[in-house]
Amino acid sequence: QNTPIKGKVTDAATGETLIGVSVTIKGTTNGTQTDVNGAFSINAPANATLVFTYVGYASQEKPAAQPLDVKMVAQARELQQVVVIGYGTQRKRDVTGSIGNVSGAQLAKQPVQTPTQALQGKVSGVQVLSSGQPNSSPQVRIRGTGSILGGANPLYVVDGVLTNDIRNINNNDILSIDVLKDASAAIYGVRGANGVIIITTKKGKKGPPVIAYDANFGFREAANTIKMVNRDQYLGYETDVNPSALAANAPPLTFPGTTNWYDEVLRKGFTMNHNISLSGGGDNNTYFVSASYLDDQGITKTNDFSRFTLRANNDVNITSKLKFTEQLSLTRSVENPISASSIFGNVYRAAPIVIGQDANGLYGNTSAWGNVGNPLVQLDKANNYTGANRVQGNVALDYDILKSLKFHTAFNVDGVWDNQRNYLYKFGADAGTFTTGGGNQRQDNSSLFIQQDNAYNYNWDNTLTYDKRFDKHHVTVLGGYTSEKFRYSYINGTRLNVPPISDQWYLDLGDPSLSTAIANNGDKYTRQSLIARANYDYGGKYLISGSFRRDGSSKFSEKWGNFYTVGAGWVISEEDFMKDQKIFNYLKLRGSYGQLGNDNIPSSLYIVTATSNLPYYYSGQLTEGTAIQQIKDPNLHWEITDQLDLGFEYAVLNNRLTGEVDYYKKKVKDALIQVPLPAILGSSDAVYTTNAASFQNSGWEFGLKWSDKIGKDFSYYAGANFSINNNKLTGLNGGQYLTGGGINGQYVTRTDNGQPIASYYVLNAIGVFQNQAEVSAAPPNNLGEANHVGGLRYADTNGDGKIDANDRIYAGSYQPKYYGGFNFGFTYTSFDLGADFYYNWGNKIYNGNRNARADLRDNIESEFADARFTTSRPSTSDPNVITSNTPPSTYFIESGAFLRLNNLTLGYTFPTDMVKKVGIAKVRVFLTSQNLFTITGYKGISPELIPPTTPTTNGLVNVVSSAGILGSGIDQSVYPVVRTFSFGVNVQF
Amino acid sequence: DQIASDPAQAANLVTGIYNIFYAGGFDPDVESFQYVIMTDIASDDADKGSTPTDYGDALQIDNLQTTPSNGTINNVWRGYYQGIARANQAIGVLQNAQFDAATKNRLLGEAQFLRAWFYFNMVRFFGGVPLLDHVPTAAEANDSKYQTRASVDDIYKLIISDLDFAVANLPLKGATDVGRATQGAAQALEAKVYLYRKDYQKAYDLSQAVIASGKYSLVKDYSLIWRENAVNGDGGINNAESIFEIQAGINQDCTSGPNLYTVSQGPRAGGKFGWSDLGFGFNNPSTSLINEYEANDVRKTGTIIFITPTGTRLFDGFRIPSQDSVQNSTYSYKAYHSRTQERNCSGNTDHLPKQLRILRYGEVLLIHAEAAFQLGKVGDATTDIGMLRTRAGLPAMPAAGINLASIWHEHRMEMAEEHDRFFDLVRQDAVQPGRAAAAFTAHGKTWSSTYALFPIPQQQIDLSGNRLTQNPGY
Repeated sequence: QNTPIKGKVTDAATGETLIGVSVTIKGTTNGTQTDVNGAFSINAPANATLVFTYVGYASQEKPAAQPLDVKMVAQARELQQVVVIGYGTQRKRDVTGSIGNVSGAQLAKQPVQTPTQALQGKVSGVQVLSSGQPNSSPQVRIRGTGSILGGANPLYVVDGVLTNDIRNINNNDILSIDVLKDASAAIYGVRGANGVIIITTKKGKKGPPVIAYDANFGFREAANTIKMVNRDQYLGYETDVNPSALAANAPPLTFPGTTNWYDEVLRKGFTMNHNISLSGGGDNNTYFVSASYLDDQGITKTNDFSRFTLRANNDVNITSKLKFTEQLSLTRSVENPISASSIFGNVYRAAPIVIGQDANGLYGNTSAWGNVGNPLVQLDKANNYTGANRVQGNVALDYDILKSLKFHTAFNVDGVWDNQRNYLYKFGADAGTFTTGGGNQRQDNSSLFIQQDNAYNYNWDNTLTYDKRFDKHHVTVLGGYTSEKFRYSYINGTRLNVPPISDQWYLDLGDPSLSTAIANNGDKYTRQSLIARANYDYGGKYLISGSFRRDGSSKFSEKWGNFYTVGAGWVISEEDFMKDQKIFNYLKLRGSYGQLGNDNIPSSLYIVTATSNLPYYYSGQLTEGTAIQQIKDPNLHWEITDQLDLGFEYAVLNNRLTGEVDYYKKKVKDALIQVPLPAILGSSDAVYTTNAASFQNSGWEFGLKWSDKIGKDFSYYAGANFSINNNKLTGLNGGQYLTGGGINGQYVTRTDNGQPIASYYVLNAIGVFQNQAEVSAAPPNNLGEANHVGGLRYADTNGDGKIDANDRIYAGSYQPKYYGGFNFGFTYTSFDLGADFYYNWGNKIYNGNRNARADLRDNIESEFADARFTTSRPSTSDPNVITSNTPPSTYFIESGAFLRLNNLTLGYTFPTDMVKKVGIAKVRVFLTSQNLFTITGYKGISPELIPPTTPTTNGLVNVVSSAGILGSGIDQSVYPVVRTFSFGVNVQF
Repeated sequence: DQIASDPAQAANLVTGIYNIFYAGGFDPDVESFQYVIMTDIASDDADKGSTPTDYGDALQIDNLQTTPSNGTINNVWRGYYQGIARANQAIGVLQNAQFDAATKNRLLGEAQFLRAWFYFNMVRFFGGVPLLDHVPTAAEANDSKYQTRASVDDIYKLIISDLDFAVANLPLKGATDVGRATQGAAQALEAKVYLYRKDYQKAYDLSQAVIASGKYSLVKDYSLIWRENAVNGDGGINNAESIFEIQAGINQDCTSGPNLYTVSQGPRAGGKFGWSDLGFGFNNPSTSLINEYEANDVRKTGTIIFITPTGTRLFDGFRIPSQDSVQNSTYSYKAYHSRTQERNCSGNTDHLPKQLRILRYGEVLLIHAEAAFQLGKVGDATTDIGMLRTRAGLPAMPAAGINLASIWHEHRMEMAEEHDRFFDLVRQDAVQPGRAAAAFTAHGKTWSSTYALFPIPQQQIDLSGNRLTQNPGY
């Protein structure tokens, strides 16, 4: 005979009610959950036992009694939580690999566009760099730079979908992110070498419908700009270094003021983000449905971005053994992109004596002053639009063949369709556009460029999982097969003289007699994989695991490769001899070793192809010729990474302090590089992509978390992580070093044995020539710049009596030796406050803006104007002028260290009694700031550098560029980093 | 494999060789801006131009201070080997091709003519260079045979055997498409090669064969040789005087002309702006060149755009403003391409379809004259020089006035700004030591025999594992 049992569940320490605690009748599947007041009601036989389980708390069993008040005891969250390990989950305490975990709540509280950006500083061993450019993809390095050509970003797995790009994901939809840092990523085989970031989205929980509304409103601004010279300083400088130009007294000089070009193009950009979700579940299903809208006006004029997402995650138990799951998201984004690198290059160089735009709407003519184009004209005379649609998700079936044997099949899809439309307005270098005519900034014909991209990827996973306990033995075995197919194509066209009315922006309306261009191309590849994994533990004390993946990739002629990992763990705190000690609540030693791959390159690099549209004319007739222009390596194969990880995890002081320490050594062999070829072979790009390098990342990672409560009203937490990474190249086949990052026609970085990838390799600037006698006595400079009074002097490092390329020295790299984050916060009654910091140090930045001088009319920085050598004010450190002949040197190298307050949030939660009266379960309001301040000695716009991109919305396509990695840390024309202030609200019904 | 059995495909490979003439810009270069730097700007005919510090690599070459790390020499090295590789690809396929012998031998003749031209420039720039007469296999590529320099004689041996084959197998002008290499082109080039080899008899015979073919004659108006359009049937592209000429045109991508050739040599805005300038302002005819023209020599104004105080009006009516608006005081007229009267690809000026005259009849007369003089046939030389001087509006030179100095003077006047002067001075210096030093002294530069060859690009030495040896003096 069942009787209704009612009760309430609270936290044993604080007395706080616990919502969503699972209450089941032991030995059955019947159960319920506590409601928003912590109360539950269940019909149970009088002799039944009720089981209470809740994430982060020890389970309890209580005999059914009336009424029943349960006080649950919190456990160290870190140890109880379940982590996703790829094709399955595992309790963190049972894991033998190194896996970082971040909860969705920590990501969602930051007003940033992508979850990746919100990861910055949260996980040891994970370095994130992001830019202020709307819709840009942050750069992620897990345990250092692991590839030069194969793409060094990690693999992302969103609910089983394998992808390179998660800009479509709404932060509020994320339940948690797990980061596979060590060889346990081998379960992803040939894609695992750079680590794997696994994203799990939210699902509904059994119980009444819960509606949540989260929003924030605010604005963004450039966190920093560079102070350039004013009119008088500029004219003084020109008089000194470029008098002949001033003598001509060109028209722009008649404008009396000073133009700050950063102020001209930047603005405060409004931003808002709304999320609404509905979730809940019944006996046989759960549901989570959400919609979000994000609008980001962008800090650069005309540069907007907005994104709309929809998500529906449903679980349905069709029978007690068969479950259907779907997790689908739809994203629509609209962007007005800009040519950021060109614009910020010109903003930096434009002369301050030219007006930006006058009261009549006419632009200042910087190019008539022999300077760069006016960046405002670049922005206003272009109209760029990209609309992207993306569908991502899966449908899956789970069937329990036996209680211990489960079959899982999931069909995962990811599709992108986007439309790009770039229109350039016609304008002349004349008085119709500019305050004065002349110069070369003009667009003789309007032009319309249209592109449509279409990318589609699916992977079909089939796995069998056997999970069984025999006494103290626990065995889990996974076996499976997955297949994957990717297809991409684009088509674009250009026509001139399409009318300047947006309704008429179609190629057909252009002038067919002028140049037109059509391009259509694509890519495809497939992969087939067998996967297997076995975990064994004895009494939760001794842990052994191993995994294996056999991957076949269509990108190579030799297609098949094997990847594996083995791991072991020892939970010392479970041993009898530890029973009596009071220090460690938990202590585990673990280690793993394995081999992973990286095949992230375009799919046909090993196939020799002829170029067949080389024009020539016979008797005036166009004829298309053919040539084989590139030399290919037919034996190309994936990069191989061997990784060792040793670590321990602990919980002390009554579980209040938890931590992890890891040592790793990651060796990459057969790394893909572009080996320079002697010209005699006739290759048009003079390089040969082949497996010819090896490098190594090794380091230490430390993570600490502390949380405690003082009294009933005050709880607080603090956490910190710290990573040390040491990157170096250990082998270059043939010994030919790689160069990168050209400035003024000379390279800046060199990648060679024993040095970090992309180390600066430049002349050693040792001062400034003070007088002619010093110049006469100095060794001659053969690198473009003749020695002169006020010029930089360089060390003749090799002592051969002349300054040339052989005198370059290593001068650091952009890769940080140390990085990490720390955070703390507290809750006091209804208030909460939290702060997250990020830092790195031990790296250097090459201030490329200062070095890359195209012309003497280029603007200069105020600080340089004050410091530079003049005859009346000699300087021993700063030269009188930097020209296009100034070679790369240590003069331009600065420290890249910085500390930033990533996020500061102050919240207030209204008392429950108050809001309940209006039918609301919970209301919290908050003020938050992202990037409130950065402490750095770097003189450029930001020490956080990723090269600006014209964003490709098509995240499925691999963009391989060695220029990116070999030129890293050279600051040229970056998009300013933003600071955000916003007000937000969280409401739960 | 497919290519070897299909004649159309094999012909496409030959067209692919010609296409290398469009290479250039600031990338690998064959016959464009950087070639101009190494031939004209390097010589006493021209100054670098543009602004004084613009383009450090060109400045080095102009000042006879070229270093092995100079980017221009490396780009030209790379451009020529790309041309050689394309020629070798075509030759390799053609030699094994199964189709009619006439077509096959004509195509082979064209490919070998082009390969000979590439190697001829390489040997003149750098001396002995790696000799590749086929596409090396992957296994061969690193072989020291290819990674070291062949001797100058071996390079010339290949050039001459290629040209012998071309002379024997190429059709006469008119018997093949305009623009393809002809028998006359191969004879003219071989005559020039033999002049450089001081084999005057063969130079004489081959140039005589070109003259005797009757296929070529001088354009009447010197200034029309470089125009696109003939005037009253005189001059224009592929004119009566043209023996081998780079063809250009208008295609959809605007890529059918030597990259930056014209725009790099176009007049550049200087002090006062407000006019749409025509280019970067490089390769300015030098004072030394201007000083050598005799009074009334029409070739002076046919070769040089002078920027005058009142502005300069060009043949197409375009007016360049006066000196205070323009960076430099002289520009090359031969490189000028009218934006209004000549073909233009939608305003794209990078690949203006300028057809470079690589070999023309005027030069054949000079080769013939010099070879004849060296062989004691002063009468022939007097006739040749007389034809050129008459066209130039000058009195003919009496036989008594014909000597090496007067022939070389005529050579300079006739061929100025045609990217031949540097080579020719070095050649003359080998005949009459001291020529180059004197010429450069007049030009305000100091010559040393080191400069007769450019340095081997350091990057290529590094890539060969130091197996390429540097030229002496660098």
